[in-house]
Amino acid sequence: MTAPTNQASSTHEAVSQRVPLWRDAVVVKWTAQVATLVLVLASLWFLATQAGDNLTARNINIGFDFLERPPDIQLSEGIDTHPATGGRALWVGMVNTLRMAIVGIVFATLLGVVVGLARLSNNWLIRRLATIWVETLRNIPLLVQIIFYFSVLAVLPRVDMDTGPINGWLHISNKGLAMPRVFIADGFYQWATVMLVGGLAAHYVRRRRVDLHNESGANTSPVLWSLGTLAVFGMVGLFIHPLFGFIEPIMGAVASLLDSLPILLPQVLLSATAVLLAGRWIREFLAGRRSAVGHLALSDDDYFRIIFTAIAALMAVTVAIYWTGLSSWILNSGSDLFRVIETKFNVDGAARPFDAMRPDIVKPGKFANYGINGLTMTVGFAAVFFGVVFYTSAFIGEIVRGGILAVPKGQTEAASAVGLHRSQSLRHIILPQAIRVILPPLGNQYLNLTKNTSLAIAVGYSDIVQVGQTVYNQTGKTLPVVAIWMLFYLATSLTISVVVNYYNVRMKLVER
Amino acid sequence: MTDVTDVTETETGTDSGGAARSGRDLSSAKDMIVCEGVSKWYGDFQALEGVSATIKEQEVVVVLGPSGSGKSTWIRCINRLEEHQEGLIVVDGVELSNDLRNIEKVRSEVGMVFQQFNLFPHLKVRDNVSLAPIWVRKKSKAEAEEQAQALLELVGIPEQADKFPGQLSGGQQQRVAIARALAMEPKIMLFDEPTSALDPEMIKEVLDVMKNLALSGMTMMVVTHEMGFAKEVADRIIFMEEGQIVEVGTPEHFFTNPTEDRTKLFLSQILA
Repeated sequence: MTAPTNQASSTHEAVSQRVPLWRDAVVVKWTAQVATLVLVLASLWFLATQAGDNLTARNINIGFDFLERPPDIQLSEGIDTHPATGGRALWVGMVNTLRMAIVGIVFATLLGVVVGLARLSNNWLIRRLATIWVETLRNIPLLVQIIFYFSVLAVLPRVDMDTGPINGWLHISNKGLAMPRVFIADGFYQWATVMLVGGLAAHYVRRRRVDLHNESGANTSPVLWSLGTLAVFGMVGLFIHPLFGFIEPIMGAVASLLDSLPILLPQVLLSATAVLLAGRWIREFLAGRRSAVGHLALSDDDYFRIIFTAIAALMAVTVAIYWTGLSSWILNSGSDLFRVIETKFNVDGAARPFDAMRPDIVKPGKFANYGINGLTMTVGFAAVFFGVVFYTSAFIGEIVRGGILAVPKGQTEAASAVGLHRSQSLRHIILPQAIRVILPPLGNQYLNLTKNTSLAIAVGYSDIVQVGQTVYNQTGKTLPVVAIWMLFYLATSLTISVVVNYYNVRMKLVER
Repeated sequence: MTDVTDVTETETGTDSGGAARSGRDLSSAKDMIVCEGVSKWYGDFQALEGVSATIKEQEVVVVLGPSGSGKSTWIRCINRLEEHQEGLIVVDGVELSNDLRNIEKVRSEVGMVFQQFNLFPHLKVRDNVSLAPIWVRKKSKAEAEEQAQALLELVGIPEQADKFPGQLSGGQQQRVAIARALAMEPKIMLFDEPTSALDPEMIKEVLDVMKNLALSGMTMMVVTHEMGFAKEVADRIIFMEEGQIVEVGTPEHFFTNPTEDRTKLFLSQILA
């Protein structure tokens, strides 16, 4: 025994010989952890102060005041084409990006599944076509494709006062596609309350029909029944929605209550939540580390996690107490929210929930253009939409194909052997297993698609990047805008990741 | 020459039962599986060369032979997991052809147990068993689950119903597979090397279940290398080589007094 350890020392003659510090595994590990933490914090501090100093020295203002100032921007499309402030302009851009991402994800998934199944088809022609689709689209850069679709759409006829195909209803031109639009009107929120009740009723009906199916084995079509319930509520709601006018005073009362609450309340609530969450986390962590017979063995890493959780909770409490602005903001925005809801319900009893408009064409000067009425899909939107959907569908198709091929052949054989039809075997046996293989790479494609919508800048679709660029060209606030971009894409991508991971964990096969 | 007559008699169904189950007279039983001149090719390779045999109701037939002799291919043709290219296969009066309705009918009457179990890993044991009765037989969920529980009882693992296949041992998985096949209430059970993927100590539990099934009067066709099972349970043994049936006979005849040289060689190799 030349190198006695702590444990061994008690049983050997070298009892008094202590391990030097630099050879003690516990000391070394803790020192490394603390050193890493200090180093990371110090680097961040250094970078932040350096950047601040340099920016001041060069007289670059990185303030966010431009968000409140009126910009000189007109957007090509969005929820608000003449935004009142810079912040509002960026918000319109964000909505446009999210709109593109969501619609794109839905259609790319549908098309991708079709392409993937087509590549596995028994039909030679369909298989070939799907292969050509995949190989062509995934091998041409997305930017090139978007510009291609844009230039193809741009050769559509110019818009003028009698553009068709159905003038006054449906217009197709190089400015895009315009059609009638249904929009929500003053009575909508009362109607939505009816639908909330209808949703609960539909849920209950669905459960009843499923129970009935389990009891009798008969086909009780629960989905059809719940949709029918919703439809009935929707129709009836069009007439009875003023009944929910009584919500207005309730919302007003809640808002007044929030106004009268002391700031101390949110402070206490926030602190208590932080402490309780940390406490629960630590308790569950300890329970998870405890063996079946109740023996608790913690590694050094475990101690770190517990200590850092406690520190985080402590910091949250400090912030909640010293930053009174946060608490008053919570109270104020809460009361604002209920005031807004109050005004939404403050309507004339005869107000309709929905209204509709037909598209129009205006000619203020030399050029005709689509008016603000009606639903318009611009050529920019269409080009980006076709680009991301077609491009991503090629990748999703390959992922779906791979996932289905990854299910062993024996599964199909076993399904056939017990008498399941091809479609039943696909639905109950093959797809549930393939989805496990498909989901993780599919999530990556969703992230790619969302990030790829930033190529919209090439064809002038008003997404967050295009709007942001216009904003910083006018204000010179490049860094703040870029920071907003990054935070926005980060938040969006992380949300998608969380959703996909949630399903991924739920779908995992149970083994031993 | 007497031996040859014996074989032909067996093929035409006049034999009076296996050694271990003497006294069984299946000559008047109805034909469950009839194969006439069944041939199959994989490209240039001929896997089956004019296989002809008739299997009676309640009969237990064990198919023996070296690997690559076409045993599995033949048994898989009987529920159309493989397609035969020549000859005739009639299962309980239904001919297997390109008629999809016939294929469906045959598959719902023939249960199959695979070497690799092929359980559905994403479904609980109970759902593995009750899936086909619910979707093919249109039984109510409650009824199908009750039946599944009874079948799991029959194969000796009622307590595993709420587990997933991945949590069971090989022997338990194969017993679930047998229960799954029985859930469709088949008239015929096909076993394609059911114990070949199992550890030795698990083989017995599966063979016991199969033995009980045979005693209950199920028509069974079993491809296996378990000579003990063949001796004890089979009414008839069919020995195959290179896609052809070499010899057919009772276990007594087959193990003590085989006619063909190739059979003798096979037996000397496996019994050595």
